[in-house]
Formats: sequence, structure tokens, C-alpha cells
Amino acid sequence: MKLKISFFKQWDAILLILLAAEILCFGLINESFLNIKNLLYSTNDFMHIMLVSLPLTLVIITGGIDVSIGSIMGLASIIFGVLWKFLVFPLWLSFVVSLGVGLLAGFINGLLVAYTDINSLVLTLGTMFLFQGLATGLAGSIGASGYNGIGGFPESFTNIAYGACGAVPYAFIFVILLGFLIFLLLNRTPLGRSLYLIGVNKNAAIFSGIKVKRVIISSFIFTGLGSALAGIFLTAYFTSSRSDLGKDVLMPALTSVVFGGTSITGGAGAVSGTFIAALFLGYLKQGLMAIGVTSDVSQVTVGIILIATVIIKGIATQSLLNRMNRLAFKKATVLVNEHHGN
Amino acid sequence: MKFWSNLLKKREVVVLLLLVLMIIGISLINPDFGKIDNLHGIIANALILILLSLGESFVIITKGIDVSVGAAMGFAAVCLGLSANSGASVPLASFVAISAGIFSGVLNGVGVAVFNVPPIIMTLGSMGVLRGLMPVLTGGSWVDSVPQSVKNIANVKILSIDAIIWATLIIVLLTFIILKMSKKARYVYPVGDNEEGAFLLGLPIKRTKFLAYVVSGCFAGLAAILFVSQLSFIPMQAGSGQEMRAIAASVLGGVSLAGGVGSPFGPLVGGLFLTSIDSMLIFLKIPAFWNDAVAGMILLVVVLFDFTIRKMVEKENKKQRMLGKSTSYHGSTPQTRKVMEEL
Repeated sequence: MKLKISFFKQWDAILLILLAAEILCFGLINESFLNIKNLLYSTNDFMHIMLVSLPLTLVIITGGIDVSIGSIMGLASIIFGVLWKFLVFPLWLSFVVSLGVGLLAGFINGLLVAYTDINSLVLTLGTMFLFQGLATGLAGSIGASGYNGIGGFPESFTNIAYGACGAVPYAFIFVILLGFLIFLLLNRTPLGRSLYLIGVNKNAAIFSGIKVKRVIISSFIFTGLGSALAGIFLTAYFTSSRSDLGKDVLMPALTSVVFGGTSITGGAGAVSGTFIAALFLGYLKQGLMAIGVTSDVSQVTVGIILIATVIIKGIATQSLLNRMNRLAFKKATVLVNEHHGN
Repeated sequence: MKFWSNLLKKREVVVLLLLVLMIIGISLINPDFGKIDNLHGIIANALILILLSLGESFVIITKGIDVSVGAAMGFAAVCLGLSANSGASVPLASFVAISAGIFSGVLNGVGVAVFNVPPIIMTLGSMGVLRGLMPVLTGGSWVDSVPQSVKNIANVKILSIDAIIWATLIIVLLTFIILKMSKKARYVYPVGDNEEGAFLLGLPIKRTKFLAYVVSGCFAGLAAILFVSQLSFIPMQAGSGQEMRAIAASVLGGVSLAGGVGSPFGPLVGGLFLTSIDSMLIFLKIPAFWNDAVAGMILLVVVLFDFTIRKMVEKENKKQRMLGKSTSYHGSTPQTRKVMEEL
């Protein structure tokens, strides 16, 4: 166990070094990349990925998966717009209600996953279609489908995505806080620790008296809330609420979680890794764009990184296991020899 | 109880019955729906989804998942379009498309079978790679002005039914026959049902998994041929979102994501079902943007229904065992049992 923990600490360190190396590399090609202000400000371009992938880490640690995140983003965004524009709700109330929608969506996901033994991929696939369909249906019914969406938000709202406290954007401060809260949740609360146990061995968790269903549902609720937040953030970023906002979020979000060191089979992982990995991938996309690589091609790089991480980590874990086995075998032989010597 | 357990074994039959009932019901409301032309159109529209989910179901039966089938189809379609535009004949261009599909299958297969990458990660990664390669190949633009010879594939009719419908039917039947006749093809069932058990029986796990992904890629290539001939141009979004629909169609057709269960007729029925929903909503005058919501709802209902029946059967089996009546194997699927008996 000790070896495994130190491995994850190392992985965070490796990620940090990679992040620094990446920024330096792009900085050598294009000096404006090294500007701290630019670096901080450009986090807004991928803030929605961070908002989703941080809570998604919780679900993946339990060994589950949630592919409906993009749909929840679209649903929250369009509901926010409809409430504000057509029902003339105040901004804060629309905000609260669409967060509530995200919470409800996560609760439905969690309920389905916790109370059945069906693969969470299938269930969230179903809710993905359902939420996406509700979002496009709602948008279509009020004539806001497609790329136009609902616009005309006041500056006080779009400031969520464009405002900054000094050089640090509000959203970045918020996401650091969020990351820290999830870190505390995972490492300092019984709920967080039981997430890991469920991921390692669900039956053991049930037999040790953990309220597994409740824990699983809460992990999905966090993810639903995060998705709704990301949806509202993107609404401010695009200054329009659209039902298809979250279309391309799934792959970068999952890549951030897995590249960040969380095991897709559950039971191991850390939110700090997700945080750094999301930064790494976000800057990678921007850096590649800055040197003239289109976002389609940078998708190739992201895909390769995703696969390569898992392969390399698989090989590393296997060799670690082999080494431990060899050590254990040596110890055993010594013991057996001593025994026979006596 | 016997009825329920038989029902459980044949979900594709239940879904087919439901489909027929829905078609009859909607034809009563709007007689235009039941016309042969409309039904023919629905079937022609479903072919791509049927082929994709047929390939997908091989992977799902081995307890894997392939989310790259949509991207693989798009990639194969681009390869087909480019080679046809540069003067390749239709058979050669089709061969290129199928090879492109097989290439993506090999990529996935190597990752999953050789490097032990979890299937969702591997195929998600290759989805990104393939989607990114598409604009690289075309230089960022759409592929249009595909030669008439390619478009003609979709127009040939045999006995006043599209030739591609016959071809798809023949492919489904062939897959069924191969799974019935070939012992090696049936290895997918035990590998998905109980991998360690299959390993202990001496079955080639890695090879079976690898081939399942190759088959999935190959079917994506076949679907690409239909896609290009039906649409006659290739947008960069070709096949995007189709992977999720393919998985949904397989699951609807009774292919279990828990592995080891499924027949080639499942994707056929599931694909027809999902496609006809789109058309049904139009005839019920429900705007098309509610399609996804209805499809998602149906998928959830079918899966939950399946879960409820499975729990009932399991409970009954337990009761029988308590009474000392049960003699059957516990936990292995019929298809697996068949392979075990042969060994």
C-alpha cells in the first residue's frame, strides 16, 4: 500500500514537471505564452473541463462512469436561459434553479446506478440521450435551437467568465477552491474514504456497514452539480445559452481524470492529479493552436496521450508488482532455508 | 416462471414485438405511416446503424466497449471518398474503406488485447485520433462531388427493394450462421461471460478479444460504404454520435454489457427500433428535437425492465436451489454452456 501511495505522489510530481516543461517549450516558440497574466487568463478557455472533471473524479474512483456530463451541461444552460429570458426570473434565481436541475440530474443518475447492478455506462448513456433530448426539445420548442441559443445577458453575468480579481480570473479562484474542497472531501471525510473502498471492493464496503447506495448517489450528485456549473460558466463564456454546449466535453474531461492518475477501474486516484492534468491538456491545446495546429489535430495528441498514459502506467504497475513478488519470494526462500537449517 | 426466463433470453423478440405493435398503432393513427414506401425508407435509413451495432455487439459480447465505431466510420468514409475522387473504381474504393475500418479495429485490438488498456479508454483515445485524422486527410474541408458510380450503390434495386437492404440482411444472416457453425467464432461468448474461466479452459483470450475489435472496425468500414453512397458527400462530423446510438441499439436488442449474451438479430432489431422512433415522431407530429429524449427514455425503460425480470428469475432460481431442486449451472449463459459442452 505504501508503494502505491508514493506512486501517486510521484505521479502528481511528474505531471507538474510535464506541465512546466510544456509551458517552457511553448514559451520558447512563442514568448507571449510565458506571460503569467496570459497563462492565468487563458484558463477561462478550458475552465468548463476543470469544473466537470474535478467532481467526475469522485465517480470514477468508485469504479463508475458518467457519460451524461455534456448533456447535463446543455440542459442546465438552456434552462438558465429560458428562466431568465422567458420567465423573467432574476439572474441569481435562474442560477440556483439550473444548479438544482444539475443536482436532480445527478441524483437520477445516482439512483439508477445505486439501486441496480447495471453497468453505469449503459445507464448514463440512457440519461445522456434523455437529458440531451430534453435540452434540445426545450430549446426547439421556444425557437432557440442550433448555434444562436438565447443571448443578451447583462455584463454582470458574463463577468463570471471574463471578470478577474487582479490578474486572476474569478473562475480560476473558484475552481481552486472547488479542487481544495473535493480534496478535503476525499482525504478528510468518511464519505471520501468510503468512495475509495467502494472502488476497490464494493462487496467489502457493503459488509463493512458503509451506506454504499448513499455514497454512490452523492458522487453522482456532485458530478451533476459540477456539470451544471460548467454549463452556466460556458453560457457566460459564449454569452448565450445553448442546448449543445457540452457536446465535446466528455473526451477531454475523461482524459483529464485518467491522465491525472485516477484508475478507470476505480479504487485509486486523486483530485490533485485531475487538476494538474486538466491544466496540462488545456494549455496543450492552446499551445498547439498558437503554433498553428488546428484543434482537430490537437485531438489526435490528446487521444495518444490518453492511451499512452494508461499503457505506461499499466507496464509500471506490472513491473512494480513483479518486483514485489520477487522480493516476497526471496524473503520466503530465506525463511524456508532458515527453517530447514534448524 | 418459465415464460419469464424465456422472455429474458430473447429480448430481441420482445423488442421486435413492441416495434410491430408500435408500427400498427401508429398506422392506425396516421395511415401514411404503414405504407410500404415509408417502411422501406425506415429500413434503408436504419442500415448504417444496424451494421455499426452488429460490429459493436461482438465487442460488447466479449465484455468490452467500442466508442470509436462512429469515428471509424467517418474515417473510413473519408478514405473511401478520397480514393474514389482520385479515380479508384468502386470495388477498390470499398476495399480501401473496409481496410481503413480494419485498421482502426487493429489499433483498438492491440491496445486492449496486448497492452491491457481498459476498452473504454482505448477506444475513446482512438476515437480522438481518428476524428483528428479526418480533417488532416481532407485538408479540413468536406469531401463532396463523390463520383456517380459510388452514389449508384444506394440506388440499385433488386425485386423493387434496395440492394443494400438485401446486402445487410445477408450480412446479418451470415454472421448468425458463422456464429452457429464455427466453434472459434463462438469463443466470444465464454470470453465475455467469464474471462478467467475461459482462460482456464485454454481458450485464446487475447486473440478472441483482438478479433472482436477487428470485426467491429470491419463493420464500421462496411457502414461507411453505405454512408457515402446514401449521403453522397462526407461532412467532418460523419458518424459523430453514432457510437452511442450503436451501443444503445445493441443493448436494446438484448446484447448484455455484462458480456457473454447476444445474437446478431439483436442489433438488427435494435437498430430498426431506434430508427423507426425518429420516423414515428414525425408521423405523430411531434417535433424532431424530442427524438433523443424518447430514445433515451426507451433505452432506460428496456434496461430497467430487463433488470427487474433478471432479479425475479434469480430469486426464483435461489428458491429452487433452497428446495434442492435446481440442477442447472449457475451463472453461466446458454451460449457459454454450449461452448463448454463442446470442449
